[in-house]
Amino acid sequence: MDKITVKDVSFSYDKERDALSHVSFQIKEGAYTTIIGHNGSGKSTIAKLLIGLMKADGGSIEVDRLPLNEENLYAIRDKIGIVFQNPDNQFIGATVADDIAFGLENHQIPTESMQGIIETYAKKVHMEAYLESEPTKLSGGQKQRVAIAGVLAMKPEILIFDEATSMLDPQGRSDINHLIQEIHENETMTIISITHDIEEVAMSDHVIVLDQGKVVMEGHPSEILLKEKELIDLHLDIPFSLKVAHALQKLGMPVKECTTMEGMVDEICRYAMKD
Amino acid sequence: MPIRYEGLTHIYQEGTPFSYLALDDVSLEIKEGAFTAIIGETGSGKTTLVQHLNALLLPSKGKLQVLDRLITADQKPKQLKSLRKQVGLVFQFPEYQLFEETILKDVCFGPKNFGATEEEARDMAVKMLKLVGLDESYLDQSPFELSGGQKRRVAIAGILAMDPQVLVLDEPTAGLDPQGAKEMMDLFVELNKTYHKTVLIVTHDMEHVLHSCDEVVVVAKGKIKKQCDVTTFFEDVELLKQLRIDPPAVIKMREALRERGFSLGKDMLSIEALAKAIQSEVQKHE
Amino acid sequence: MNNFTLGSYMPYDSLIHRLDPRAKIMGMIFFMVAIFIPAGYFPYIILGVVALVLLLIAHLKLRSVWKSMKPMLLMMVFLLVINLLVVRTGYVVVKLGDFAIYSDALAQTFYIAVRLVLMIMITTTLTATTKPLDLTLGIEDLLTPFKVLHVPAHEIAMMISIALRFIPTLIEETQRIMKAQASRGVDMEEGKLKEKIMAVLSLIVPLFVSAFQRAEDLANAMEARGYIPERKRTRYKQLKMAGRDWIMLGCSFLLMAVPILIAMGYLDPLRIGSLFLEGVGYAL
Repeated sequence: MDKITVKDVSFSYDKERDALSHVSFQIKEGAYTTIIGHNGSGKSTIAKLLIGLMKADGGSIEVDRLPLNEENLYAIRDKIGIVFQNPDNQFIGATVADDIAFGLENHQIPTESMQGIIETYAKKVHMEAYLESEPTKLSGGQKQRVAIAGVLAMKPEILIFDEATSMLDPQGRSDINHLIQEIHENETMTIISITHDIEEVAMSDHVIVLDQGKVVMEGHPSEILLKEKELIDLHLDIPFSLKVAHALQKLGMPVKECTTMEGMVDEICRYAMKD
Repeated sequence: MPIRYEGLTHIYQEGTPFSYLALDDVSLEIKEGAFTAIIGETGSGKTTLVQHLNALLLPSKGKLQVLDRLITADQKPKQLKSLRKQVGLVFQFPEYQLFEETILKDVCFGPKNFGATEEEARDMAVKMLKLVGLDESYLDQSPFELSGGQKRRVAIAGILAMDPQVLVLDEPTAGLDPQGAKEMMDLFVELNKTYHKTVLIVTHDMEHVLHSCDEVVVVAKGKIKKQCDVTTFFEDVELLKQLRIDPPAVIKMREALRERGFSLGKDMLSIEALAKAIQSEVQKHE
Repeated sequence: MNNFTLGSYMPYDSLIHRLDPRAKIMGMIFFMVAIFIPAGYFPYIILGVVALVLLLIAHLKLRSVWKSMKPMLLMMVFLLVINLLVVRTGYVVVKLGDFAIYSDALAQTFYIAVRLVLMIMITTTLTATTKPLDLTLGIEDLLTPFKVLHVPAHEIAMMISIALRFIPTLIEETQRIMKAQASRGVDMEEGKLKEKIMAVLSLIVPLFVSAFQRAEDLANAMEARGYIPERKRTRYKQLKMAGRDWIMLGCSFLLMAVPILIAMGYLDPLRIGSLFLEGVGYAL
C-alpha cells in the first residue's frame, strides 16, 4: 500500500529555476526508501514539502490518503518524524532528557508518563547513560541519536532522515546507519532517507534518483546501482563492488555485478570455485 | 625547511577548573613538499595540532619550528602576520567566513591584509578563483548567492590568494557530496604536485587519505600514535583495527577475500592491483 | 570570552541550590524591595549580614562577587562625582575654596554604593545556585498568573531557554570565526580605524549569517516536532515547593517588612536594637 503519494509536484525558491519540477513518486508503507542526487538536485526540498514546512507551487501530496493542505497540516505532521542535517541546530532542550521531552510536551503527553517514555527511547538509541548531559558535551553522532529518540518518542508512522549523517565523522555515520537498520527491522515504520551515501542506498528497499528537480531513475537498489554510466553522468558515486566487478571483467573474468561488498566477495569466491 | 614540533603540550584554559590537556608532549616532523594527512577520532587533538602552525594557538610547553620561525611557550611571537601569510589555514566549513559584498572583494581581503596592492590582490584573486573552478563571470556576484559547495571554493580561493607556502586544511570536504569532495581533493593534489605547496589535511575519510596523500600522522588522545607513509600505513591491518579506523573499501574487500582463503599480498591498494591478484589466484586453481 | 560570568551557574550542592527557583526568585524580589526602601542605615546592616550568610551557605566566594562588581566600579565613581557636585544639603565636611563637600552628598553616595553591592550579591547568589533552565521554568510559572493580562509567559520562557541553549554555541562560533579571520590577516587589536572597522565587519557579518541559518534550522526542527506557539503544552520538568521553600519565602517577606515598617514609622530601629540587647542580656 502506498503511504505517501507525490503527484506532479513543482516548487521554486526564486522564479528563475525550479527546485522541483513535476515530480511524482509513491512511497510504500513499511519500506525503506532512499532518495539520492547531487547537491542542488532538489532532494532536501522534498523533505521540507512532505512535512509542510514549505508549500508546493503545484501538484499534490497525500499522506495516508490525506491530502496535504492547511486543514490536515498538523494531522500529517503528527504522522511524520524528521531528523535534519545539522546536529547542533535541532537540539532544542537543555539536556538530552529535555530534548526528548520537547516533542512530548508539544503533544500534551501527561507529565507523569514522560519519564518512562524518555527512558525507553533513550535506550533505543543507546543514549540512556547521557540523560542529564548537555549538548556541548556530546559528539555530533550522539546529538543525532538524541534527535532520533526525540522523533521516535512521538510514535510517527513515517521517519524521514534529511542528510542526517552528512555532517558526522565515520564513527557517527556508521552508528546512525546501524540505528536506521535497527529501526527498519524492529519497528513497522516507513523510512525515507535522503542521502549521499551509496553504501546506505544499497541497504534500502527502494531508491529514487533526482537530478535538476526531476526524478530520473527509480527502482530497487540492486538494479539502479548497476547503471554505472547513468550514475556517473549524474555526478553520483557508484558502489565499490561494481568497480571491482568491472575491473575483473576487463581482465577477462565474467563475474556477475553486485551492489554490496558481501555480495561481491561471494560472487568472486563462487567464480573461483567454479573454475 | 620542515615543520617540527618538539615536546609540544597544549592545555586549554590552563589554571581554571575547566583546564583540558589537548596535546601531550608531541614531537613530530612534517616533510616539506609532502601531502600529509592528520587523522584520528573526533576530540583527539588534530585541530589543536594544526592551529599551532600559524600561531592561532601557542604552546603551553615545548616549541614548534615552522619554516624559518621558532614558536616557543615562553615568548609571544612577533610579526604574526608574516607567519600567517606563509601558512594558510582553511577552517572547517570555511564558507562561514565570507562577509564581503562581492566574491572578488572577499578573495582580495586576505592578500590586502598582508600588504598586497589592489592590483596584485585582484590578479591573484582572479587566478585562484579560476583554479578552484569559478570563472570571471562570478567576480562581481555576492558570495551569499552561491551554492554551499561554491561558497566553500570561494573561501578556499581566499586563502590561496595569500600565496601561502604551507596549506593547512581542516576537514575541507565535510558535508560535500561525493563528487564535490573528489573535485576538492583533486584540487589539493594539484596544489601539492604542480604548485609545490606543503599540504596538511585533517580528515576522517580514508579513501581520500589512500588516494591523495603521501604521509599519515595518527593522533590519539593528544599524542602521536603513528607516523609513516600511506602505503605502509594501510598495509598494517592490525594497526588500523587497533586505532579503530574504518579502512578504505579496497582494503575491506582484500581482507574479506583473504578470510575466504585467497592469498593476496598486503600491497593491494588499488582496484586494478586487487583485480590482477584475484586473476592470478584464479589461474593458479586452473 | 571564557570568563563569561553573567548567570554563571556553580554546580555545588547546598541548601540554597536545592531551593525551588520560584521561591528564590520571589525571595530575591522581596530583598530588592527591601534594598530600595529608604529607612536609614539599620536595615542595611541586616540585609548585609543576610546576603553574606547566603553566600557562605551557597559555597560562593566573595571573589566571584567582586569580579562581577568590577565593571560597576566606574559607575560608582561617576555617581560619587555627580553627587558631590549636585547635592548641597547637610553640613559642610570639607571646603576647598569655592567648592564644598556636603555630608548628604557623602551619605547618598554611600547608600547607592551599598545598594549596588547588595543587589549584586543577591543576584549572584540566585544565578550561581540555580540552573539557567530552572530559572526559566521559575520565571514561566511566576508569570503564569499574568496571562490574564495577555503576558505571553510561556513564549517568554521558551525564548529565554533557547537563548540560553545557544549562548555556548554562539560563543564557540565567534571564536572560530575570529580565528579564521585572524588566519586571513585580520588583527582585532591593532590597525587603523578603517582596518578595525573591516575587522569587526569580518566577524559580525559571518556571525549573523550563521545565526540566521541556525534560527531557521531550529524553527524548522521545532515545527517538525509539533511545536505550535499558541497550542497548550504539558511540561516535563515540574517544580515542587517544599517546606523549606515556604520558610525561605516567609523569612524574606519579613526581611522586606522591616524597612517598610521603619519607613512608615511603626518600628524604631533603636528600640529593636535595645530590645535585642535586652534579650541577649536576659539570655546571659
